[in-house]
Amino acid sequence: MQFSKKWLQEFFNESLDKLDLEELLTSAGVEVEDVKDLSSISNQIVVGEIVEINKHPDADRLNVCHVDVGTKDYLQIVCGASNARKGIKVPCAMVGAELPEFKIKKAKLRGVESFGMLCSAKELGISDDADGLHELNSELTLGQPITDALELNDIIFHLSITPNRADCLSLKGIAREVAALSDLSLKEDEYLQIKASINNTQKINVEDSIACPRYCGLQISNVDNNIKLPEFMINYLERGGIKSINPVVDITNYVLLERGQPLHAFDQNKLNGEISVRNAKKGEVLILLNEQEIKFQGGELIISDTNGPLALAGIMGGELSSIKAESKDIFLESAYFDTVQIAGRARSFSLNTESSHRFERGVDFSSTLLSLNYAASLIVKYCGGSISNSIDITDQLPQRKPIRLDTKRIVKIMGVAISSEEVAAILKKLKFSFAQDKDEFLVTPPQYRFDITIEEDLVEEVIRLFGYNNIPALVPNMPAKMLETKSEIKPIDLIKDTLVSHGYNEVISYSFIPNDREKNLHNNNNLIELENPIAANLSVMRSKMWSSHIEALLYNLNRGQKIVRLFEIASIYKLNNGTFKEDRVLSGLAYGDQIPEQCGEKNREINFYDIKGDIENISCKTLSFMKAIDHTPACLHPGKTAEILLEKTKVGWLGCLHPSWQQKFELPRDTYLFELNTIVFSDLKDLSYDLPSKFVPVRRDISVIIDKDIVVGDLVKDIYSSKIKNLIKFEPFDVYQGDGIENNKKSIAFLILIQDTYKTLEDKEVSKVVDQVIKCLENKFGAKLR
Amino acid sequence: MEDLKKLITDAKKDFAACKSLTELDNAKSKYLGKAGPITEAMKGLSKLSKGEKPKIGALINEVKQGIELALNHCKESIQKAILTKQLSDESIDVSLPGIKGNSGSLHPITLTMRRIERIFHSVGFDLARGPEIEDDYHNFTALNIPESHPARAMHDTFYINKNYVLRTHTSPVQVRYMKENKPPLRIISPGRVYRVDSDATHSPMFHQVEGLWIDENINFANLKGVVQDFLQQFFEDSSLSIRFRPSFFPFTEPSAEIDMSWNGGWLEIGGCGMVHPNVLKHTNINKNDFQGFAFGLGVERLAMLKFGLDDLRPFFTHDLRFLKQFKV
Repeated sequence: MQFSKKWLQEFFNESLDKLDLEELLTSAGVEVEDVKDLSSISNQIVVGEIVEINKHPDADRLNVCHVDVGTKDYLQIVCGASNARKGIKVPCAMVGAELPEFKIKKAKLRGVESFGMLCSAKELGISDDADGLHELNSELTLGQPITDALELNDIIFHLSITPNRADCLSLKGIAREVAALSDLSLKEDEYLQIKASINNTQKINVEDSIACPRYCGLQISNVDNNIKLPEFMINYLERGGIKSINPVVDITNYVLLERGQPLHAFDQNKLNGEISVRNAKKGEVLILLNEQEIKFQGGELIISDTNGPLALAGIMGGELSSIKAESKDIFLESAYFDTVQIAGRARSFSLNTESSHRFERGVDFSSTLLSLNYAASLIVKYCGGSISNSIDITDQLPQRKPIRLDTKRIVKIMGVAISSEEVAAILKKLKFSFAQDKDEFLVTPPQYRFDITIEEDLVEEVIRLFGYNNIPALVPNMPAKMLETKSEIKPIDLIKDTLVSHGYNEVISYSFIPNDREKNLHNNNNLIELENPIAANLSVMRSKMWSSHIEALLYNLNRGQKIVRLFEIASIYKLNNGTFKEDRVLSGLAYGDQIPEQCGEKNREINFYDIKGDIENISCKTLSFMKAIDHTPACLHPGKTAEILLEKTKVGWLGCLHPSWQQKFELPRDTYLFELNTIVFSDLKDLSYDLPSKFVPVRRDISVIIDKDIVVGDLVKDIYSSKIKNLIKFEPFDVYQGDGIENNKKSIAFLILIQDTYKTLEDKEVSKVVDQVIKCLENKFGAKLR
Repeated sequence: MEDLKKLITDAKKDFAACKSLTELDNAKSKYLGKAGPITEAMKGLSKLSKGEKPKIGALINEVKQGIELALNHCKESIQKAILTKQLSDESIDVSLPGIKGNSGSLHPITLTMRRIERIFHSVGFDLARGPEIEDDYHNFTALNIPESHPARAMHDTFYINKNYVLRTHTSPVQVRYMKENKPPLRIISPGRVYRVDSDATHSPMFHQVEGLWIDENINFANLKGVVQDFLQQFFEDSSLSIRFRPSFFPFTEPSAEIDMSWNGGWLEIGGCGMVHPNVLKHTNINKNDFQGFAFGLGVERLAMLKFGLDDLRPFFTHDLRFLKQFKV
């Protein structure tokens, strides 16, 4: 909602200048988003007339104009506007004029000198209309500063009105608000007297009186729709954000802005038979004023005649019956459409009109007829014509039920001392009618307040006028009850800190990714798609974070990074039998050298085991890494991927990006990806702790030869599960294949730590443990001691 | 006699001329070795008369000790010189860079959320979470935003289908938490939220922190107190002031927009209000027994102010040159 301050002034006898309107409205919840002072427009912009116009010799779209600005010499100005033509008066910014965006200088355009600029309304800063030059009234004096010529000693206020305050969507509503918030008093409404001189011949039938509880209409015959409305009306409209179209339409918009009542004028001669307010039938078609074609599904509220739909009720009129310059006879409609019935309708046609915006939020149904007559009187006043008697079909209008309000409740909710006298004074200011019994009030809100239905709404109203600023900031007194703090759960923060200390950088990436990445890279065809993605490549909820992290990798490689280690802890989304499942997962990526290039340090590329070590370091529990032959994620290298298990539960993946994807992304080196359910880290149950032995463990190393295909992990697991007495650690420290070892064999060196809790072991006992280990390896894996 | 005494002066001279421990060893044997003058003199003692013996003996000892003292003295100074040389040889350029692994970092949004969580935790706000793919009921209806309510248009919602959306705010967590827990309740709920909006100060995905406090007498003045206290702590500025402006959120009544004093003006920082009776009703809380407030703050906005940034897009472009600045 935007409006001209001059227009608002017309509602008051006293000057508005003594108020800080911006502060007054904003602090009462009617937020002033922007204030534009039109009088600040440069006085170097003056009224000019195009007296001669020629094509630019070197540019098809440009014209060379000679402009009379009331001085001896004409100015030569190059102009590209399509409506530039001989004889029109337009705003001319002369050399030195300052526009909001830039300063006018002498310029050369394609070789032709230009001494200024002819302006559109947008360039002037008086409206958003950038469509061609702003044509001026031909009676204006040449050379007159535009601020005077257009009466720009005005200020435009832009308001951001919350959906509950439909009553503020008009000049009258804002004036009412200003009066309630200040000590200015509103002028009485002035209505011109209208006399019906013709008979209303238009039959009206309201079929759906629930959606349309009130419908008023009248006819005006023989209007002249080619006249010029007074400049002030056009200015008010434009400063209210509405473009001037033709006098009758402008007047309906003028009343809409002033009273908040949307009106619609039909060309009477395009109407056939009875007008009905009814639900559309499936298959009916309507072409709207904006040339949009609507095919009805059935059930939408429309205005129709015997030929079919005329208008989308409360939203937009149809092209066919619209008012044109040549229209002579008019049927003028003023209605009240129910908020619930109209709500969401405009949006379903991708429309948002001044009319639908108001009907959705609530229009004052007590002044439907008043506004109709007001508009008719203005039309007759400026365009001439004869008015018929009006028809008013009213059914069940909304009721404003009295609401109980207790001062004690206000005090309890707000935590502020307010007396019943103050409450009564505020209710009076708001023009709410009420009955009072000490602290208790019975309040009936006015018709135009759709937002006040319960006591809390009244509490807010009272405090809004009392002033939010007058409420103290009080930290509550509270019992010192401590929060439950579970020791079984490792905070996610700790996991993040550990990763950071291992050199990983945390990223936060969008939860939506490109459709093809989800399908192909994440190999998921059970897509969760957005109906209205912000961009085509952000259309699907991700089931893994790898695609996002590869994007991040590429972004950084393109910017010269050599080492990339990323992680993110976030939700991933899956669709399971029609229900959505979200898991909080740790995911990450590692690429490049093991350490940054630096003085005197040997470096190497990272490998699987580096990342495996990182993962093992962040988990308090022992994880096992197993090859998953048949269900390795398709984007990972099947030979360099492990499924991660916590005991028997599958908790994640670590692997190298599949060479075919590596090639697709043009990545010169291996990329490692991992994913782990955060359960692994957060669950600290079942952890047990022992005191250390007083004795130093004895270490023995052995080296065995086994078949190449046997995985070392199996040997280790088997030794541990054999529960050999006093053996506390069995771990590989070298793997060797090559010279001296048969082709299909490998040599593994193990360290064995042996220790007893109660005594120092003798050599004999140590050897016994080593023998047991060797025997076990021989028997189960055919190992030979080297 | 005189010859013997002169030995000390000679030895001192010889020892002092030595440049290494080996040379000193050689010089030592010249005087104290088996064929040296002291050994010789000792051998000569037996030929002396009884009367002379103790006298000469004592003299020899005295000379021997004198030589040994001189020897030790020189040994120490040679050792000292060696050590000094070693230290200077081994000296390194400490200005060369330290050897580091990759430098890790936490995301600025994480740092901001941690700070928010820690401050609220200090007065007993517990943490709660909820799903990001949210059903229409929790995101809208239970929050007093019925279907077709104009407020739905304010939200620029991402739809998955008719019944599911990407949550447009963290407020649905209020509803879920109030349903599952009995008052008194005091929680904050940080997390990702989504709106169809994108420019320098809007991202289609961003973070909010929801706060909720329900008890018998928690009132609007308390809301103001808690929000002000939080912002003062967050920005470490006890002179920071806040301004509440009346506003509209369907799930609070009265509602307020929170402005914070910043660089001489006011800056909008979040929304808040007293939990609407209809929301309490949806969660089976009797409004005559309990009341309370809810607030929502934009984490990106707080992070931008805290770190002095004027564009939020770098939070989501993963540029390591930006991210690595946020070392822990």
